Amino acid sequence: MDTLDLHNQLILDEYDACMPVLQRFERVLHHILSDVLDKNGLAVIAVTTRIKQKDSLAGKLAAKGHKYSSLTDVTDVVGARIITFYTDEVDRIAAVTEQSFDIDWENSVDKRRLHDLDSFGYNSLHYICRLPRTMIYDADCPQLNEMRFELQIRTNLQHAWASLNHDIGYKTGVEIPHEYVRQINRLAGMLEMVDDEFSRIRTEINDYRRRVQQLVQNDKLEDVLLDGDTFNSFLQVRPFEKLNRRIAAINQAEIREVPLGGYLKVLIALGCRTLDDVVQLSKKYSEDAYALARYQLGNTDLDIIASSVGIQNICIVCILEQGGGKIGLTRLFNALNGEGPQNALLAEQTYKQALNMPFMSRS
Amino acid sequence: MTTEITANGTQLTAAFRGRLDTAAAVQTAEDIKPLLEATNREIILDCSELEYISSSGLRIFVTIRKSAAEHGCKVIVRHLNEDICQVFIMTGFISLFEIQ
Repeated sequence: MDTLDLHNQLILDEYDACMPVLQRFERVLHHILSDVLDKNGLAVIAVTTRIKQKDSLAGKLAAKGHKYSSLTDVTDVVGARIITFYTDEVDRIAAVTEQSFDIDWENSVDKRRLHDLDSFGYNSLHYICRLPRTMIYDADCPQLNEMRFELQIRTNLQHAWASLNHDIGYKTGVEIPHEYVRQINRLAGMLEMVDDEFSRIRTEINDYRRRVQQLVQNDKLEDVLLDGDTFNSFLQVRPFEKLNRRIAAINQAEIREVPLGGYLKVLIALGCRTLDDVVQLSKKYSEDAYALARYQLGNTDLDIIASSVGIQNICIVCILEQGGGKIGLTRLFNALNGEGPQNALLAEQTYKQALNMPFMSRS
Repeated sequence: MTTEITANGTQLTAAFRGRLDTAAAVQTAEDIKPLLEATNREIILDCSELEYISSSGLRIFVTIRKSAAEHGCKVIVRHLNEDICQVFIMTGFISLFEIQ
């Protein structure tokens, strides 16, 4: 630890004396930050808080001479960091930070804007803040509103660069040659591009999803190619609910919601290329799918069904009407359950149950 | 109707014996509680000696599956007899479980 003069040693003693308050402040801060993000619907990769290590504080005091007159002058004794997925989220969290906390603007800095047009390096947004009384107040612990903390907001890639840069550049305490600094900063430039690309792609995917949802809502399904995204949007309008309700009515059964995403592969294998193909397939086979369910469930007292029963029976009827037989049904169960010897047995059982159905004579 | 739960490493196996009908479901729901508390385990529902399953029994299986998904567990249903297999197919629950 650095040797300090009396002035700075007193600040270090103050640090020791304040430790219980610092620890409480850190816990409160972590809770408040998580809460603020939650309330604003902001999902992040991580929220971390820390109290500055004593030797780190001693180093800072030694380096800065008599810049600080007391511990409260050191703005980063307690620090917090929010790691985001995307660059635009840094700005959204910044806006929430400015609305939520008392900001010490004089000491806050946007490191992203410090770079010249032709330089790259550390990118992060730093705020020095206080917790306002409207957020927390304890008459027995006024320090909770008096202490400042440093809040760093950065993307995951900015964080990765900063961590590695710190490890490479500072851990040894030896100044590294200019060429290596250049290489590290070159990486910062590359990661900045990657960050921007991720944000751009995310925005484009969101636009695409909105367009698809619009098409689904407007019933323009022939324009929508069938894929994971479009199928999920399609499922949100509950296209098999009518058939499921009819099937449930056979035994006054309750319908349990189960995931239907696994049917995407099956529908593609059955020749569906657009969402309209799925609708047409559903229309064509719904009546027989219902008849199959009535035949199976009608003489049982089973009063619970899965929300997959409608689409499952549509697929079974389609396969059997198209002459797919037991092999086709085995493929269906392979697609739904993963390949395995049991699927041939399931196919055999299903085939047996369907044998007496009128649609079998059409295959 | 009996339910025996055994642990082997990260695997939890529930062996069902008898008829899982409405009357037996209350006790079975009690018996399977350790499965609902499990985290990051592979849960095997061994049905080799399960003779019959009613709607109440299906509800218990669905409850186990839901809890498992929430706790990072995987559920495998083994050795369904022909009748019970048909129940899983006709109710649509067949795709909810990994059947072996």
